[in-house]
Amino acid sequence: MAAGQNSDFLGLRLASTSSEARNANRRRLSLQIRASKSSPRLSGRPLRVAVIGGGPAGGAAAETLAKGGVETVLIERKLDNSKPCGGAIPLCMVGEFDLPLDIIDRKVTKMKMISPSNVAVDIGRTLKPHEYIGMVRREVLDAYLRERAAEAGATVVNGLFLKMDSPPAGSGERYKIYYNEYNSKKSATGEKKEMEVDAVVGADGANSRVAKEIGAGDYEYAIAFQERVKIPEAKMEYYKDRAEMYVGDDVSPDFYGWVFPKCDHVAVGTGTVTHKSDIKRFQAATRLRACDKIAGGKIIRVEAHPIPEHPRPRRVLDRVALVGDAAGYVTKCSGEGIYFAAKSGRMCAEAIVEGSAKGTRMIDEGDLRKYLEKFDKMYWPTYKVLDVLQKVFYRSNSAREAFVEMCADDYVQKMTFDSYLYKRVVPGNPLADLKLAINTIGSLVRSSALRREMAKITA
Amino acid sequence: MASSLSPSLPTIFSTLISKPNHRSQTLQLSFFPKKLPSLFMARSADNGTGGAAASAVVEEKVESMNPPAKIEEVKDTEESLSSNGVAVENAEVLAFKDPRWVGGTWDLTQFSKGGETDWDAVIDAEARRRKWLEDNPEASSTVDPVVFDTSIVPWWAWVKRYHLPEAELLNGRAAMIGFFMAYFVDSLTGVGLVDQMGNFFCKILLLISVGGVMLIRKNEDIEKLKKLIEETTFYDKQWQATWQEDYKSDSKN
Repeated sequence: MAAGQNSDFLGLRLASTSSEARNANRRRLSLQIRASKSSPRLSGRPLRVAVIGGGPAGGAAAETLAKGGVETVLIERKLDNSKPCGGAIPLCMVGEFDLPLDIIDRKVTKMKMISPSNVAVDIGRTLKPHEYIGMVRREVLDAYLRERAAEAGATVVNGLFLKMDSPPAGSGERYKIYYNEYNSKKSATGEKKEMEVDAVVGADGANSRVAKEIGAGDYEYAIAFQERVKIPEAKMEYYKDRAEMYVGDDVSPDFYGWVFPKCDHVAVGTGTVTHKSDIKRFQAATRLRACDKIAGGKIIRVEAHPIPEHPRPRRVLDRVALVGDAAGYVTKCSGEGIYFAAKSGRMCAEAIVEGSAKGTRMIDEGDLRKYLEKFDKMYWPTYKVLDVLQKVFYRSNSAREAFVEMCADDYVQKMTFDSYLYKRVVPGNPLADLKLAINTIGSLVRSSALRREMAKITA
Repeated sequence: MASSLSPSLPTIFSTLISKPNHRSQTLQLSFFPKKLPSLFMARSADNGTGGAAASAVVEEKVESMNPPAKIEEVKDTEESLSSNGVAVENAEVLAFKDPRWVGGTWDLTQFSKGGETDWDAVIDAEARRRKWLEDNPEASSTVDPVVFDTSIVPWWAWVKRYHLPEAELLNGRAAMIGFFMAYFVDSLTGVGLVDQMGNFFCKILLLISVGGVMLIRKNEDIEKLKKLIEETTFYDKQWQATWQEDYKSDSKN
């Protein structure tokens, strides 16, 4: 959310640049060894890449690959899959991915943050008339991106990826992937098939099988629980252009509870990493905190899904790359992942297209590492800032009170929305930054003082 | 001798020690219904009035400003006990009430003491409200929003209340360290106190000691700081894992 306040954390910025420098060193090393200049030209056939998974990451990757002259196969298990997901996309995604406006269900211009003591702050006063947060349904967005990939020339297969045989590293031989193809005419169990490909893009989400195949290692994950609630028309009016975030120990010890508007209903949910077994209790608390506004609603669907907390220890191995949730690209604090998934898919595909000289040459690990390098360089600061924000402000109820107090400030709102909507960390006005830092410390001190007073009451 | 005594000793001690301990614990349990679900259940288990009255007494001791508000709350719980409502409705009945809480904020005119606002009382009241909300989360409302902002309490009220005792301690400690450092530097190098002030190295030493006193107030603080540093670099490590691997395989080659 508030990626703009990085200027408060000068020390961190320094740390990240120094680590980047170290990384660059490493990269230079790796590039010397894995230069792909000598990679052999493919004779009589284009490079063939399998994209496993048809979400935003897979869809974006397949489209870019197909446009770049690579023979692309996209394998998706459920073509009408509606993943439980907040469905918020930043404004810049609409432009960058050229999304038509009719797939956006709602344009949220008011974000309400509600603190443990029910102080509510409307974020979004600083928005310009054309700015908004788009709310999409995942089934619509995913289908649209897949359709575009198909139009660009990718083959979309309704199938379930099972496993793959990897050739020895660096040999340049093909991968053999095994999958079940589900064809509507044939039996429902599916038909066992196999295919030989030159590279694999794993975009198959949190429970990625591709990641397992390359031994990418695990990540910590949060569990997100969400109920879709159909509420009376009169109550829906309130959520017409508004989303709500509830913070507090009752709602989630390390994340937030939310009410997001959808096309004709709202999604009420919450998430946690540390207390997964209590998720039902947190959900009940979220419902309670919103109860005036969603009273009389009918729950039409209940969903739960894991959300990665950090990238997997390995994101690229030989000619297999992970993108999106499979790689673990979800921000802390806001839990945003759609945009980063689509971006990582596209970047990975661009790296493949470039490395293969539009599908005419074989690629190697060095080419795929270029995608990692670019992605990390571009978005690492955003991820880090959000991680720091989560650590500082979701720590306790008193910190959350301070967070909400801070969000009432116009400067914070502007910075937050700028960095969220346009995904760039804009350097702010130093004087205003200083003022903000002082105000934030003031808020934190006040609320922790109150916290101490509260502790006295119990004792 | 010793071997025959040793088994009996611990049992004697444990009975001696555990008994009063046990009693105080059970007492505490019945007097302080703590968390949100148990608040309600404990009272019903206590057979209604007894427990509720006891807790009211205890809370009065803590905050003797306004007994009427407290009693009102207790009455509410009793009513809901008899009506035996569902979980969600309980919370609605258990709304926070206080005569000084008007229109989503503290009515400052009711806090005036000798013509001036008694900010200490405001802080007390807000702490109590937050505590109450933590135990009984309330539905957020658009009709009567909370507009109270802690920043209306002037900064000196906070400082006066919380930072004086601690500042005293830190000041004393810093003075002691400063004095002894000056003494040691003088005895080791022969540079006098006045000359030390003009010395760049000594100035740095001074800064370090002041910073150290601020950061490390207790022994546990060292551990805490270590953990904090670890925590802040943890995410970096998670992100760099994929490059680390690259580095390793490179150096092997």
